[in-house]
Amino acid sequence: MVDQELQLTISPSPHLRSPATVSHAMRDVLLALAPVTAVSLYWFKFSAVFLIIVCLGAAVLTELLFRKILKRPATLRDGSALVTGLLVALCFGAGTAWWTAILATFIGIGLAKELMGGLGWNRFNPALFGRLAVIMLVPIFNYVTVTFAPLRPFFGALDVVTQATPLAMLKQGALQTDLGSLLLAHPGGALGETSAIAVLLGGAYLIYKKHISWHIPASILGTVFVYGLIAEGNFSLALVHILAGGVLLGAFFMATDWVTSPITPKGKLIFGTAIGVLLMSFRVLLGPTEGMAFSILIMNACVPIIDRITKRPRFGEVAVQEAAVPAAVKPAVGKSN
Amino acid sequence: MTVKTFNRGVFLPHFKKLSEEKPITTISLPKEVVIPLHQHTGAPCHAVVKAGDKVKTGQKIGESAAFVSALIHSSVDGTVTAVEPRPYFTGTDVESVVIAVNPKQEEPKWPERDPSKLTMDEIKAAVKEAGIVGMGGAAFPTHVKLSPPRAIDAVIINACECEPFLTCDHRLLIESTEALVEGAKLIQKLVDAPKIYFGVETNKPDGIEALNLKIAGDETMEVVALDVKYPQGSEKQLIKAIMDREVPPGKLPFDVGVVVQNVATAIAVCEACRFQKPLYERVLTLTGDGAAKPGNVRVRIGTPIGHIIEQCGGFKGASIEEGELDTSEVRYPVFAPPHLVGKIVMGGPMTGWAQSRLDVPVVKGSSGILIFTPAMVVKTEHTACVRCAKCVEHCPMFLYPNYIGTYAETGRYSQAAEWGAMDCFECGICVYVCPSNRPIVQFVRETKKQIAAARAAK
Repeated sequence: MVDQELQLTISPSPHLRSPATVSHAMRDVLLALAPVTAVSLYWFKFSAVFLIIVCLGAAVLTELLFRKILKRPATLRDGSALVTGLLVALCFGAGTAWWTAILATFIGIGLAKELMGGLGWNRFNPALFGRLAVIMLVPIFNYVTVTFAPLRPFFGALDVVTQATPLAMLKQGALQTDLGSLLLAHPGGALGETSAIAVLLGGAYLIYKKHISWHIPASILGTVFVYGLIAEGNFSLALVHILAGGVLLGAFFMATDWVTSPITPKGKLIFGTAIGVLLMSFRVLLGPTEGMAFSILIMNACVPIIDRITKRPRFGEVAVQEAAVPAAVKPAVGKSN
Repeated sequence: MTVKTFNRGVFLPHFKKLSEEKPITTISLPKEVVIPLHQHTGAPCHAVVKAGDKVKTGQKIGESAAFVSALIHSSVDGTVTAVEPRPYFTGTDVESVVIAVNPKQEEPKWPERDPSKLTMDEIKAAVKEAGIVGMGGAAFPTHVKLSPPRAIDAVIINACECEPFLTCDHRLLIESTEALVEGAKLIQKLVDAPKIYFGVETNKPDGIEALNLKIAGDETMEVVALDVKYPQGSEKQLIKAIMDREVPPGKLPFDVGVVVQNVATAIAVCEACRFQKPLYERVLTLTGDGAAKPGNVRVRIGTPIGHIIEQCGGFKGASIEEGELDTSEVRYPVFAPPHLVGKIVMGGPMTGWAQSRLDVPVVKGSSGILIFTPAMVVKTEHTACVRCAKCVEHCPMFLYPNYIGTYAETGRYSQAAEWGAMDCFECGICVYVCPSNRPIVQFVRETKKQIAAARAAK
């Protein structure tokens, strides 16, 4: 035993670590998404199950594939692919054609995340990027379906956005849904829009676990409400703007994405407020759909500049303490030799 | 009781239970001591002894003409066997005086005098002659720190001991309260400050009580209870907590009229003035989940850490029997299977240095030896920054460790400096909280090195 070599680990300080890891955080995000996922399963049953499984599977396979091609170590264990997959599924309606969901997931994870360098290097929220890419591609889909009309039964319906959502009805002045059902559960729009309360529950959990701070959701919702109040001139219609559409899901789960949101509380407030203003401008001035996704992605692009302009002063940089110090600089006491 | 603190920082598990109630003990002398000639901030010393010379405990063996330097003394009676580069705790070799320890040691005698009768110059000379340096870890020569070029209105005695595991200052606080207060008063006299604050974290209630009893009735001294938060014992954070003054970037505590001294340093000042005793021994904590008998020990400077570990019962699960060790040679044999010991750290767990060998000597700034089992050894693989901002949230210097890390990793050092790398004092919080396990402190060190090289090239 005496001659046995010690195998001591040599590593730089510090020699302690907190238990926090990326996979813990991602697991908590999945947990936080469970309530709204459950409500969507309740409303849409098998079609929701199908959509979610398809997206999760596509997310995992896309990440594996790109990591393999790019010769990078596998990172599935961080759980971010599952989060993106589930978020993509929650952005779509239950009747969405399976291949659109796969395409959105593929573009989100493959292009917006892995080709940018992997988790941490992506500038745009992968789920929203995938979702919007598919929306933009609709004209091409139309062309393809017309050209390959016989294949239509295989590919399923083309509707990506045409469902009558509460927001669309609001725009047409034909809102039928009451606030109470919007808050509790309402089977309209995407899976993630089926229950405001379920999304709020998940968001509260993330804030409680300190994975996200209140700044981004609060500034988005506050701005949407105030803008809504001014634009609609009506308290309950302003509330509808918050409860309907993807605002809540976006405010708690997409805009708060660590990688694509600003670092400091001040930056987060600017970011959230800008998203709220953009969203409401889209809703009031343009069409009723996809405002949230566009607003978040636009602001994702502004994150580096927001970080730069909100850079906080270093410790001691603000010269506030001069007054507290004895003013007279007297000669050094007992100056050495 | 009001509890003060600074902004940000982090609450760490403190692991102090292992050794906080163990009184300071002494251990036997090793066969050989290795005393590095450069164990302080500033200019290295050159040896004033050569191989073959007989030296006495406390005899000066190294000196330097530079102002920012500290004298080196022999810590034992013995014979110098070599003056040569030897392994140092940072991993490099440092010119050291190697002394074979006499089996028979003469008890050193230090003539006592009344320190209150000393003049300022005499105090300063005593501190300089004793080779005292900051014993909290930074090892900055104390006589330099006590020659501030401007008026000082407060002395702060740093009794925070905010690093987990370490308890040696805590023990000194209780066991040497009188010497500590006397040392603090001497420092106060030297810098002509009207007030002394003792900053103690609230996890040492017995220390706070002992100090309060000792200073009762003295208006010029005050014990300040501080929150148990890391890095409360960092000078700038300590001054902020107690005085609400911020030391500007690139400035020192005296720029805001404060002098900070660690507990052990203040006690050393007292001993230097009262007994003219040089700094040749110190108290350190030997602890960790892999230590057989965690405790606080008084050791001579230059004692190899292997000797201390051995004297303190060795590694947990591998008790050391008399005669099991090969004592014919002066080397520290390996006496634990690797499954019992994963890492040995010199200093605290947040800023200390991992050791690869056991013949590395204890120096004036060594506050602890930590023995970790393999289970305590942290992983070093890291992934990309996910911008969770936890490091930004906790950074006590208000920097952006996330950007520093990413820029330094990609070789853009000037941008890393722009986001604050040069102001970092490497407390390690950013690495501790990072979910991607990024070695940001390493990135900072690399940035400082590169920036210094770039400046030198100009």
